[in-house]
Amino acid sequence: MSVSIRDLGIVIGSQTLVSDVDLDIADGERVGLIGSSGSGKSMISKAMLGLTPDDAVLSGSVNLSGVEAVGADEVTLADLRGRYVGTILQDPFSSLNPVTTVGRQIELPLRLHYRLSKAERAGRVRRMLAKVGLDAGLADRHPNELSGGQAQRAAIATALITSPRLIVADEPTTALDSIAQRQIVDLLVRLVDDSGASMLFITHDFSVLARATTRAYVLEHGRVVESGATSDLLAKPSTPQAGRLVGAARKLALE
Amino acid sequence: MAQHDMLPAETVHDGRLGISDVVAGSCQADAVGPAGAEGSPQGRDSSPRPALHTPDEPVSLKGLGKLAVVLRSMWSQGEGRFALVVLACWIVVSLASIVWTPKKLWETDGYHVWAPPSADHLLGTDGTGADVFSWLMAGARTNLLIAILSVMLAGVVGVTLLMAMVSRSKMVSAISVVAVDALISIPTVLIALILAVPMGASIAVIILACGVGYGLNLARIARPQALLAAGSDYAVSARASGASGGYVLFRHVLPNSLPSIMVQLSLSAGTAILAESGLTYLGVGVPSGVPSWGHSLSTSVKLIDVYPLTVVWPGLTVTVVVVALNLFGDVLRQAIDPIVNTALRKVAA
Ligand SMILES: Nc1ncnc2c1ncn2[C@@H]1O[C@H](COP(=O)(O)OP(=O)(O)O)[C@@H](O)[C@H]1O
Ligand SMILES: [Mg+2]
Repeated sequence: MSVSIRDLGIVIGSQTLVSDVDLDIADGERVGLIGSSGSGKSMISKAMLGLTPDDAVLSGSVNLSGVEAVGADEVTLADLRGRYVGTILQDPFSSLNPVTTVGRQIELPLRLHYRLSKAERAGRVRRMLAKVGLDAGLADRHPNELSGGQAQRAAIATALITSPRLIVADEPTTALDSIAQRQIVDLLVRLVDDSGASMLFITHDFSVLARATTRAYVLEHGRVVESGATSDLLAKPSTPQAGRLVGAARKLALE
Repeated sequence: MAQHDMLPAETVHDGRLGISDVVAGSCQADAVGPAGAEGSPQGRDSSPRPALHTPDEPVSLKGLGKLAVVLRSMWSQGEGRFALVVLACWIVVSLASIVWTPKKLWETDGYHVWAPPSADHLLGTDGTGADVFSWLMAGARTNLLIAILSVMLAGVVGVTLLMAMVSRSKMVSAISVVAVDALISIPTVLIALILAVPMGASIAVIILACGVGYGLNLARIARPQALLAAGSDYAVSARASGASGGYVLFRHVLPNSLPSIMVQLSLSAGTAILAESGLTYLGVGVPSGVPSWGHSLSTSVKLIDVYPLTVVWPGLTVTVVVVALNLFGDVLRQAIDPIVNTALRKVAA
């Protein structure tokens, strides 16, 4: 799925959180969105699926392979969500319902969008669990029995179960330790490439960005300040904002 | 809108299914994967969404297994055992009283009024010479009926208001919050007194007053927990999966608010028993002649100085049952929580 964001603006009350954002993702491309905490990354990802807070006022355009998401009605948006666009959130534990089994949560997009028999659904969940490197038995567990890495793998399975054409991953590794981070990024990249989907990968960490994306946008105070190939951004950031983020990533890598 | 949306294959496919193609209704046939991997067509405009429970799911069996686990873990605690025994006795006595009581309710013994306990009258007699034990037995079923119906009404009223209060619609939530806050300040007794004007003394007055009053309470007390669930990441995650607001409310917010709701409902059952006594004493509850614990209390309480024993029996019954109901709620909350009760998770498997 291709994404074309033009002049996106997000205002809540008197606060302008995002303005003049242009962002493109080609079919099958993995694109990064990097910026410090509070720069508006999550707002942009939410705006792509109409998940911004109710009091947010959106302007501009988010075009998902020909479908306009800004101002779209709830039916169109609900059809996009989980079926054509899979979402992975930052905190793997809080994004899983504590009182429902992992298997039931992974199959939710299938239940909502496709009419399948119970056996077909169970088979798909089983194969998906294997793909994300989880034991089939975990489907019957509750989230509090999982480790952070396992929970994030379950969240990835939920996002990918319907083979969506775009994955939006909002800081999917921030809550994990560095080894789990690398594993999760590599897994996500492999699965996304295998399925031919596009991905928007959001992070504040350049070291993760390099593994996950080929091209990236740097966001600062709700504006895109720099964009280009991820390797170029890492090697010679041309703006001080990108420079700061790269510096922080290098420092972390040395520690 | 598309009439033949296919579930994309699980493996690589080159003929990519663009969203524009699907939404425009021209689903590419080559986008569908190998046999077995595709979903059945679902014309979303012509056919309803899939049911939440497909018929092939053995819901009832799993439900029974869960019930057994919940009861077992309640039984494993002293308080739970006490509550279960008392409540079981209550139900058994209520049912038994329909067909049998030691003495007929209207059989009075004019020579033995206010009699102390004896072999003939297990708990003695009241001022008319009627058998206290028989009246308490028969009262059990009236109070059981009142407790069950009050709790059911409170549950319906409370959960409806709760869902409205935490719904994503600004207008619905604002109106319901104001309504609950305004109505909750009216005492249950006052609601009952007002209802009694057109309805007279009747069991329905107690049930309506308690059901509405405790429903309002339930909504307000469970609201913080429900708000937490409604604003949670898993609610956002479900919406990002395509779930509607209603689905999130009933599948995520409600189950996660169940502990507070359950405790509140069993407290309501106890409070309904107490309210029955109070309202019957005031003359707006159970009509005279209908057996109830409140009736037994109010007929004997006038002579408490002279014949205290007759008051003790209904008083003791009410106290024990109310304590049991309160303990029941506490123990139930832990037993139905899959996070606390590890045994419950095994059933879900
Ligand atoms: N519901 C909200 N109402 C008003 N402001 C918000 C809300 N949620 C987030 N913000 C603000 O929007 C800005 C961007 O937030 P966010 O997109 O979450 O940042 P990021 O994901 O880059 O860390 C922050 O300054 C934050 O304080
Ligand atoms: Mg964020």
